Amino acid sequence: MVVKKPKNWNSQKPENTRRFIASGKDGRKKPSGPRLPNTMKKVLDRLNTRSPVDSDGEENEVKIDTEENSESVGNDIYEYEEEVAQEELGKNRRFDSVENLNYELPDDFEDEDIPSDDEDTDDDGDKDDQAKTGFNAESEEDLGRHARMLQGITGMPIEAFEGIKKSKGNMVSVTRPESEFNPSHNVLDGDNQITIQDLLDPLQGKAGYNQLRERMHHLEKKSVPIQAPLSKPEKEKVERKVAYAISKKEIRKWEPLVKRNREAPTLYFDEDRDLKYSTVGAIASRVEPRTEFEKKMHSLVSDKKVLEAHANDGTRLLELNMISVEDEKERSDRIAKIRNLLSRHEIKQKHIKKIKSKTYHRLLKKDRLKALSAQMEMDPEAAKEQARKQEFKRAEERLTLKHKNNSKWAKRILKRGLDAQDEGTRAAISEQLQQHETLTRKINSMKDASSSDDSSDGDDEDSADSEQDAALKLIEDAREKTVKVLEVDDAIPSSGVFSLPFMVRGLKKRREAAIEEAKLALEDYEKLSKQMDDSQEASNNSIGVSSGRMTFGVVKPQTENNKREQRFHDDSDTGDDIDVKEDGDNGRQYKENIQIGIRNDSLLFDEDSHAHKDSIFKSFDSTHEDPDDKATYEVSIFASDSWMKMKDGKKNVNEDLSSQKNKVVKSSSHNNHLKELIEESDTESEGQMVDGILSAGPTRPYELPSQAELVRQAFAGDDVEEDFEKDKKEILNEENPEPEKPVFLPGWGEWVDVQKKKGLPSWMLKEHNDAKKKREEALKKRKDACLKHVIISEKVDKKAEKLFTKVLPFPFTSEEAFEQSMRVPLGPEFHPATAINDLIRPEVVKKPGINIKPIKFEEVNPHAKDEDQQDSKQKMTDNKRKRRGGGKVVNKKAR
Amino acid sequence: MADDLEAKVKKYLRGEGANLEVLNDKKLKTQLAIREDLYGKSAKAAADVEKWLMPSEGGYLEAEGIEKTWNITQESIAREVDILSSKNQHDIILPDLGPYTLDFTSSGRYMAIAGRKGHLAVVDLKNMSLVKEIQVRETVRDVVFLHNELFYAAAQKKYPYIYNQDGTELHCLKEHGPVRKLQFLKNHFLLASINKIGHLHYQDVTAGQIVANFRTACRSDAMRVNPFNGVVSLGHSVGTVTMWKPTSSAPLVKMLCHHGPISALAFHSNGHLMATAGRDRKIKIWDLRKYDTLQTLPGHAISLDFSQKGLLAYGNGSSLRILRNNSDSQSYERYMSHSFLKGYQINKVLFRPYEDVLGIGHSMGWSSILAPGSGEPNFDSWVANPFETSKQRREKEVKSLLDKLPPDTIMLNPSKIGSFKPPRKKEKPTKDEREAEIEAAVTAVKSTEVKKKTKGRNKPSRRAKKRQESIAMAKRPFLEQQMEEYNSGQKRKISEEVQLPPSLQRFAKRKVV
Repeated sequence: MVVKKPKNWNSQKPENTRRFIASGKDGRKKPSGPRLPNTMKKVLDRLNTRSPVDSDGEENEVKIDTEENSESVGNDIYEYEEEVAQEELGKNRRFDSVENLNYELPDDFEDEDIPSDDEDTDDDGDKDDQAKTGFNAESEEDLGRHARMLQGITGMPIEAFEGIKKSKGNMVSVTRPESEFNPSHNVLDGDNQITIQDLLDPLQGKAGYNQLRERMHHLEKKSVPIQAPLSKPEKEKVERKVAYAISKKEIRKWEPLVKRNREAPTLYFDEDRDLKYSTVGAIASRVEPRTEFEKKMHSLVSDKKVLEAHANDGTRLLELNMISVEDEKERSDRIAKIRNLLSRHEIKQKHIKKIKSKTYHRLLKKDRLKALSAQMEMDPEAAKEQARKQEFKRAEERLTLKHKNNSKWAKRILKRGLDAQDEGTRAAISEQLQQHETLTRKINSMKDASSSDDSSDGDDEDSADSEQDAALKLIEDAREKTVKVLEVDDAIPSSGVFSLPFMVRGLKKRREAAIEEAKLALEDYEKLSKQMDDSQEASNNSIGVSSGRMTFGVVKPQTENNKREQRFHDDSDTGDDIDVKEDGDNGRQYKENIQIGIRNDSLLFDEDSHAHKDSIFKSFDSTHEDPDDKATYEVSIFASDSWMKMKDGKKNVNEDLSSQKNKVVKSSSHNNHLKELIEESDTESEGQMVDGILSAGPTRPYELPSQAELVRQAFAGDDVEEDFEKDKKEILNEENPEPEKPVFLPGWGEWVDVQKKKGLPSWMLKEHNDAKKKREEALKKRKDACLKHVIISEKVDKKAEKLFTKVLPFPFTSEEAFEQSMRVPLGPEFHPATAINDLIRPEVVKKPGINIKPIKFEEVNPHAKDEDQQDSKQKMTDNKRKRRGGGKVVNKKAR
Repeated sequence: MADDLEAKVKKYLRGEGANLEVLNDKKLKTQLAIREDLYGKSAKAAADVEKWLMPSEGGYLEAEGIEKTWNITQESIAREVDILSSKNQHDIILPDLGPYTLDFTSSGRYMAIAGRKGHLAVVDLKNMSLVKEIQVRETVRDVVFLHNELFYAAAQKKYPYIYNQDGTELHCLKEHGPVRKLQFLKNHFLLASINKIGHLHYQDVTAGQIVANFRTACRSDAMRVNPFNGVVSLGHSVGTVTMWKPTSSAPLVKMLCHHGPISALAFHSNGHLMATAGRDRKIKIWDLRKYDTLQTLPGHAISLDFSQKGLLAYGNGSSLRILRNNSDSQSYERYMSHSFLKGYQINKVLFRPYEDVLGIGHSMGWSSILAPGSGEPNFDSWVANPFETSKQRREKEVKSLLDKLPPDTIMLNPSKIGSFKPPRKKEKPTKDEREAEIEAAVTAVKSTEVKKKTKGRNKPSRRAKKRQESIAMAKRPFLEQQMEEYNSGQKRKISEEVQLPPSLQRFAKRKVV
């Protein structure tokens, strides 16, 4: 920061300042002093080895003077002249003539190194002072001042000038040094203050004086006039500037580091990895006992004695293992007691088991049941459990049918006949059956209950279902009863009237008859139930269709069934049935279905009489069996058609059938034709995929070409070249169609008479010409423009489009650079194993679980790049973990 | 030696690196420089190990003095070569089942032969044993191996069939019709066929669907796949050769090669050279980069084939010739010749891969002769291994299926795949289209809900204003574009006006650059 001088001072005393500085050539600030004679100057120059401290001391003196004469500083303007006068007068004869003073300025003089104006002014003041006051009249003082002045000018100690003083001979030594006890004249006079210098002077030569003086000097030197503080924003601006410069410098040191990281193809973050635990033992050693047991174990294991014993040969371990007699005794007693208790319990149980009294057991059982029931009453949980158990049993039965005499044993017995068995087995079998019944009956009852609940909701279907169920149940019941009868009848009475032989015979006969009847009845029942099943299925299907329920899976047979039914409807019945069908009433429909089922049966019996109907079914069946979905779909459509027709009842069924068949075939072929047409009409989008298959040619089987075509083919290639040219022209015209010739429209564009004279209007011709030109240009641009015998297709393959990039990937701006960079494939097949790893290494190598620490500063030599790489290569061979590239990068990319 | 290595390095570098000086992006420049450096290292490493991986060099016949190589007979060659090679010289006489055609697997170990009269057989050429032969009792026109020796397809009287090695018929490809020629595209797993009425079918043999089905112009007797790019070429009876790919219904290239019908076709493995033979007694060698003839030779050829090393064999009647590329003059010259007995009619010549052997199918069976310098001396077991074990074969099958290329990748220059191709310039959008675009943008803006602003900013008038502004903003880019176009049109007009007639142009002031 350069301190500006106050303007008025500068302008007032330009010469003065100049003069003073001129005397000290090196531009250092010099206190004013007398001009020396030339001889003396030379001597001084030679001896010019002053110490800064001394000169500083001198300055201090000068300072005092200024302060002495501070009052006179105010009127500077007049002093100038006086000063000049003083010199001219040569009052104290110390001054040389000053005529050429102004011209003594050296060429390289620069008025810059003025540390402070104060001093200058002080000097000036000093001079003026001297000039004004008449102190210099006294020679002693004069001499002292002179010496001081010399010292100030030359920066040499006063002693240097003593010789001169002595030679002068008119010097009076000061007897007493100036001190606070001996104040200087000025002070005594009362017109000056005591300065620090005054106080300091007497201390000269004493210990610590130099330091003190230095400090004082330091203080004084620093006491630059304080400028008015800068405005806050300005100050801040300056501060910012400085801060910016500093921080810039600070930041700059990161530059090589960042540059290195940026340039490195790969950054590694897996340096200084520390696997905390390397072995199982290490992990185990850090385990802290937490639970009670662990703590106990730990205390035992880490017992000092034990450890010590382990450390030694282990003989002490035996000693530690010693057990006292009391302990052992206590243990054995305890064991004996437990054993005793156990054996007692055993004996008791045996005794209970041995009790054969039925009453006892009954009572026991009763008690148990009571307890159970009580428990059930008391404890809802137990009740639930019981119920669950029961339910589980039932479910098991339903699943396994364990009690339906399906087991190997039961089968075998049944095979041999129940009659041949002894009573116990029979009883067992019947019991099993009974159990099954009970189990299943319970289910039924439960189910009924639920279904009744459902039906109460008012669902028609369910009611229909239940109705059907009821019918089924009836049949079932009947069958069961007959079976029971069969079973029960087996028992032959062994005593009484019925045991008489003829009675037995009679009974036997009757029973046989009954059995036969029962068997017949059973068969009937079975038939009935079968029919019911069928009809139920049918009804279900029809319900499914009519109620619009979602149906998944096998829908086909169902529709087939329906159709079959429908056929029957209209074959055998009037339109009533159809009405019923259309009517959504399911209950009625169900009945109808039963009827149909029955009718169905009856009809099936006289199949022969309706051969044509049968054939219809067959055809339909066959078409249904056709795996092709489309075909079946179409067939179903046609079937519905025919069904309508048949409803009319005007056509013969046979005819209808044949026509249908034909239609089916035709329709498929027709469809094929359609497909072809579509494909062929798609000329614009040639090569489009139809059903994933690109097909320009027909898909129909190969047909022999016609005779004419054969002839044409046989004589093809007579004039190959012309043909080719024609071909090419055609293709060219297709891609760039020739412009239409201008059509003359009378009265269009111009007056008719003008048109007649001139022909076509000029704009028309121009347009035509332009189009022509355009076409020619386009043709010229073609790759095969110069090749007469080649046609290269210019069509763009849309499918291949995806194999090219449409935009250059980001960092690339030039196509060439991109393509060149892509020329080398990156794959293990294309590079040796030694080189591929470097090529495909990722940008950042980092093991999972490693923290990326912030970047740390390290010295990087920005110019030793290659060297660095080589170094790192060396590392690579040395240590696998330190791989090439950026050497060891400890930190993330600074971006 | 150093030159040799340098050449190899150059080969592995696959071309020059980009000029990095031109790039402005410093970062990219360093990245690319590092890449290039790595490529260079890799190429050098590859070149260094090449001598270990490719130890043997191809041989050739060398004539001494006035001797001519084409005068050297098979007998004299047989005297010079080792026993293993001399085993490859044989004639199998099968006179009954008519002219034979043949095909080799890519490793050259197995050969499938098909007699015209229904004789199909697979032969293991390494131990000279017959794997299986069957008689299909039908005309067989062509036979081709699928991806390995286990399957082959035979073009029979009505349809082509696929058999396995045991002779079990696996498929009957009815859609193809009466096929004349069959070809298999190994990398794409496509079976290409041309039938009698000139329909070209592509069938994917992995999934079984027909990939493409094209009607070519007229009948064709010759069909070959360009091994470089998978483009199928057909030689037609009108003297044209058409090149096809499965994704375009029009031929990629159609060139008039001969004045008569084309009888044979063959492609060099580098994909640049094509040889055609026509009934106009000419054999032409074409440069496919320029679509221009390199050389025209006189002569008939029933069958043509390029070997792996670039020998060209053609057979006609009972004589056979092999041409060799003369490296000095860049032209094919006579190298070897061989002739059978008078009655023999050559039907097919095919070089055996990785062996110096030429297989010939003729009317009396098949023969194989030695053609020194025809096969690639070093095989890459990852590509084709003649000593493949069944385990390796299985592995390779899976691998090749994983690497199967979609049919879209077939194009004239497949090396361009992945490169930059700017989207096609659309013709100027019509007025209607433009309006529709603007309309769409406006509706999009209109449909967006305006945020509820604080009190005072939510006035209806403000809202309406805001809405209008947003609509205007949406329209703006379109209008600007229109303006730009309009302006550019005007500018062009102005520049056109300024352009002087050519006679006066020399007096015009030159633009100071």
